[in-house]
Amino acid sequence: MTSFILKRLSAMVFVLTSISILVFLIFFATPGVDPAARIAGRNADQQTLQQVRASFELDKPIPIRYLSMMRHLFISQDLTSYVNRGAKVLPQLWQAIPATLSLVIGAAIIWLILGIGLGVLAAKNRKSWIDPAISIFGIIGVSLPVYWLGELVNLLTQSKLHSSVFKWVPALGYVGLSQDPWQWFLHLIFPWFTLAILYAGIYIRVLRSEIIGVMQEDYIKTERAKGASENRILLKHATRMSLITIVSLFGLDFGALVGGSALLTEVVFGIQGVGKLTFNSLQNFDLPVIMATVIYASFFVVMANALVDVLYAYLDPRVRDA
Amino acid sequence: MRRSIAVLALASTLSMGLFATTLASSGAASATGTDAPLAAYDASHAGGTLKLVANAAAGSLDPKINYTAQYWQLYQATYDGLLTFSYGDGKNTFNVVPDLAVALPKISNGGKTLTFTLRKGIKFSTGAAVTVADVKASFERIFKVSSPTAGSFYNGIVGADACLKAPASCKLDKGVVVNAATGSIVINLVSPDDAILSKLAVPHAVINPASAPAKDAGTTIIPTTGAYMFKSYDPNKSLIMVRNPYFKEWNHQAQPSGYPDEIDYSFGLTAEAQVTAVENNQANWMYDPVPADRLNELGTKYAAQVHVNPLTAMWYLPMNVNIAPFNNLKARQAVNYALDRAAMVKIFGGSQLAAPVCSFLPPNFPGHVDYCGYTKGATPAKPAKAWGSADLALAKKLVTESGTAGTAVGVVVSDDEVNKQMGEYVQSVLNAIGYKATLKPISGNIQFTYIQNTKNKVQISVTQWYQDYPAASDFLYVLLGCASFTPGSDSSINMAGYCNKALDAKMKAAILQGTTDPIGANKAWGAIDQAVMADAPVAVAFTPKNLDFISSSTKNYHFSLQYKMFVSQIQLK
Amino acid sequence: MKRRVPVSAEKSDSPGRIALRTLVSDKRSWIASIFLIFIAILAIFAPVYAHNIAHTDPFTSSLNATIHLHGKDLPVLEQSTGGLGLGVTPIGPTWNFSKYFLGSDNQGRDVFARLLYGGRNTLMIGSLAALLTIVISIIIGLVAGYWRGFIDSLLSRILDVIWAFPVYLLSISLSVVLLTSGLSLGPIHVGAGSLALPIIIIGLVYVPYVARPIRGQVLALREREFVRAAVGSGAKNSTIIFREILPNVFPSVLVFVPLMIALSMLTESALSFLSIGVQPPAASWGTIINDGLGLLYTRPIVAFAPGFMIVLTAVALNLLGDAVRDALDPKARLRGAL
Repeated sequence: MTSFILKRLSAMVFVLTSISILVFLIFFATPGVDPAARIAGRNADQQTLQQVRASFELDKPIPIRYLSMMRHLFISQDLTSYVNRGAKVLPQLWQAIPATLSLVIGAAIIWLILGIGLGVLAAKNRKSWIDPAISIFGIIGVSLPVYWLGELVNLLTQSKLHSSVFKWVPALGYVGLSQDPWQWFLHLIFPWFTLAILYAGIYIRVLRSEIIGVMQEDYIKTERAKGASENRILLKHATRMSLITIVSLFGLDFGALVGGSALLTEVVFGIQGVGKLTFNSLQNFDLPVIMATVIYASFFVVMANALVDVLYAYLDPRVRDA
Repeated sequence: MRRSIAVLALASTLSMGLFATTLASSGAASATGTDAPLAAYDASHAGGTLKLVANAAAGSLDPKINYTAQYWQLYQATYDGLLTFSYGDGKNTFNVVPDLAVALPKISNGGKTLTFTLRKGIKFSTGAAVTVADVKASFERIFKVSSPTAGSFYNGIVGADACLKAPASCKLDKGVVVNAATGSIVINLVSPDDAILSKLAVPHAVINPASAPAKDAGTTIIPTTGAYMFKSYDPNKSLIMVRNPYFKEWNHQAQPSGYPDEIDYSFGLTAEAQVTAVENNQANWMYDPVPADRLNELGTKYAAQVHVNPLTAMWYLPMNVNIAPFNNLKARQAVNYALDRAAMVKIFGGSQLAAPVCSFLPPNFPGHVDYCGYTKGATPAKPAKAWGSADLALAKKLVTESGTAGTAVGVVVSDDEVNKQMGEYVQSVLNAIGYKATLKPISGNIQFTYIQNTKNKVQISVTQWYQDYPAASDFLYVLLGCASFTPGSDSSINMAGYCNKALDAKMKAAILQGTTDPIGANKAWGAIDQAVMADAPVAVAFTPKNLDFISSSTKNYHFSLQYKMFVSQIQLK
Repeated sequence: MKRRVPVSAEKSDSPGRIALRTLVSDKRSWIASIFLIFIAILAIFAPVYAHNIAHTDPFTSSLNATIHLHGKDLPVLEQSTGGLGLGVTPIGPTWNFSKYFLGSDNQGRDVFARLLYGGRNTLMIGSLAALLTIVISIIIGLVAGYWRGFIDSLLSRILDVIWAFPVYLLSISLSVVLLTSGLSLGPIHVGAGSLALPIIIIGLVYVPYVARPIRGQVLALREREFVRAAVGSGAKNSTIIFREILPNVFPSVLVFVPLMIALSMLTESALSFLSIGVQPPAASWGTIINDGLGLLYTRPIVAFAPGFMIVLTAVALNLLGDAVRDALDPKARLRGAL
């Protein structure tokens, strides 16, 4: 087990290092991206330009620049932005995390309830209209572009129906939970549902087919022969077995979303989370912020992967030797 | 001047700005039509918190570093130089008035020596007195922090050469000579400079304590002398300004007492959300341009809260005169004839928010002459009074004659909503006159430096120029002088790569003439404008106007042609 | 995972035929296919509509265009006259197929014509990107799973890196860079505005999601009796791969196709929405949504219509995907989205 965990850890370090190098190279491969002139200001004198370049170590070779940036990011933790001179990068990231967590946790609760509830319901009512109806709902869920849905929601709640039905909807943005819990809730309610619909769709589909699969397994047939009721089999055995899949799926999705994959939702609803921070920094070519957010994001994805793997290894010893 | 630090123009925001043109103000409650000085202070209106909103912060708060309209507007109420631009209305706001200096400088030695006297009894927001040593240190600090304009505005000070080469050890012992006993400050220039008073009045020349850091202060706060001081700054959240406890009014036109007790600038709302916030009185004023689909609503339902004012600025298309096809004069003239400037005004928000022009110097700017050589029925030699309509047929003919028809042309634009739309239009026009045009929208944050570097081989682009200070040289000499063209550099503001030796000499002569004979010099600039445009290194499209949208509880709006709305003069009571 | 018997052992009633029969008898596949064919026809005939019915060029700005409506000539882009007269509003839907059926955009272009052209690009990019993903994934899966050892570790590590890079972050960073510079690989140069760029970007980012299961399947097949027997008998590697392994991997790959197209299409539209996908004046459903956002308060249909098309097409593709899965590989674990 220890060697398995060590193996995973070293793989993780490898992946994170590769990604940071990749980002660094992609960035400096872009023409016109040299931040010196942007930092120096409009119509700056050539000598001024050189001095700025030197003060940001942009005149050094790429490997040195990379190492220096990593040192500022991880060791001295005082990496500063290229765009907002003097603004430290890490506090920006720490500030963005609560907004992303609020969005993702709220949405996750909604999609788990919807996904599991409707998934089981569909599997249970395969013969009636309920199953196809839920399946269609699931398919629509996975087919909706989240940004478009978000814009439509905004159009209705912020403009078209804002003077009537949605008078209570606050302006776009994010209010901290500690600042005002009620406003926090009001600001997030539409983003939650918008983000949750896609994942609810996925979970409905996965759970339904998992349950149907498990129901055809031999041991279920044995149970049935013993005279256990269909409902009992469904809830006690099939659902429980299928939930293992759901748990691992959830681990990966949650990791990715906390890491910034909720970017589109955050951008559309103006939530100042990690995704929006990443997107803004990419648009601004603010390499220090890009570095910090991308490493942070991949850390969560890799962590979630590793956790899910460890969980599996724990449940199934065969995986460890693979 | 003034390109705002590229605010993310996702979705529906007009990124660059909805700004203005004729001097007639079309805002309902606006009083900016007159050229009056600032009215006396009325203490009964003091108090309250002024709430400003913007999508994003504008970077470093250091007044010697920051070069954005967003913060220059705030610096007027916080920092002071020896000189400043006057408070008031209309053209009055272009006047340079004494601020920390007792009076305008005595100019001697053929315009090369400026003698000031420092005002006594002024204190920084820390309580320390402002001394001539602070003044000298502040000028040296311009070079020590590598201020963006160190080499372009202040390179004429004696000793600046050495400071530019070795900023860390910058000493201006000969350039800025001070006398602590008499309070006199003598600034020595290498050669006369017609715009020196303006250059000394902009924020990069403000006076900071000698103890201010010798590097970009970034988000840390430098003590102020003005009516307000900065209390806290977090570029991802807010900028808070409060009254400076040591401030006592010394020149009402230069640094008047302010009305609000506190000014809160918060960041992070999209332009759409900003409009809603101002409509609902949750904010007093929004920084970002109003999204196009909200304009009609503001113009009708909220007309009394909208202020439209002229800007001395232009949207223009630099054409690279050193590579095909625009190394051909006829090709450049063809573009000038083909551009339907009224159509571009439409994209910008309609005729109330911009006006077509084709002269280089914007209307109401020193040296401007009303003329247009590139409209139907006119030629550069026989210009019309104003732009009327595009002449596609002539443009096509010129392209054919130039032999450049069929050339592939890339149009490089910034990728925000308005710029991209301008680009799409320009691409259509180029195709219509016989080129094979493609559009290249790139991130707004790098487009401005990208189009400057000759290595990127940009043929034509869409960009803007907002004045730094009211002097013809800030447009013509800065944008089209030989000195502004540095091949291979990201900082080469002469994007057309246009260097006409004869005209360059004329410009230098006009700058010199301006130090003794401003009226004659402006006449010369008018002629230079026409001569340059006959060569057509650029196509000027239109001059934008500034639109401010304030909440219903916001009173006493006044507009500065130099720094836009006066934040400190807003009354909330 | 489903493992078929070796191809050589097939009889007339092969699993392939059974699958096809199941697929044909599935109502879902019919509905979805008919809809998709309809959309494809619309897209193919976009130029016919634009040139012969609407008489418009949807890629040229016509800011001064006028339209004859209710007996009057109206400007397509109308300068506001009320109040301070701020802003310019494009004409709304005329519901008349011959001109501005869905109204105009900010450039005075016909939104309906652009919608049809946009469908072309969206569908083309979606399909080609999915194809690219699948081809690369098959190659990686086969190479890694068949030869194992060093090459497998190397490829798996590369997949790990791409996998750990959140999809949107990776595609956005690639887009931002490539849109500025274009892509130069040796003699091949792809221009910055080229449609090939989004195809390549989207095609690459999803490779790990498809290559990993294929590799697993190949690894398992490698251990099977009939493959071992073939290796033992001294058959050439290429023969084993093409005759024994590939045919067994193919059904699960087929299951991926409709779902990958749907996914690539959604990704393309998201990138275009962030204005880093298809570049103007070319159109895709995502770029039209993006154009429409600037008109959301005045002409919401411009953003609504293309989104609606995306949803319908994605639903059809997912339905088809489900039908294909049920026919070929009922136990395949597919999420429908990643």
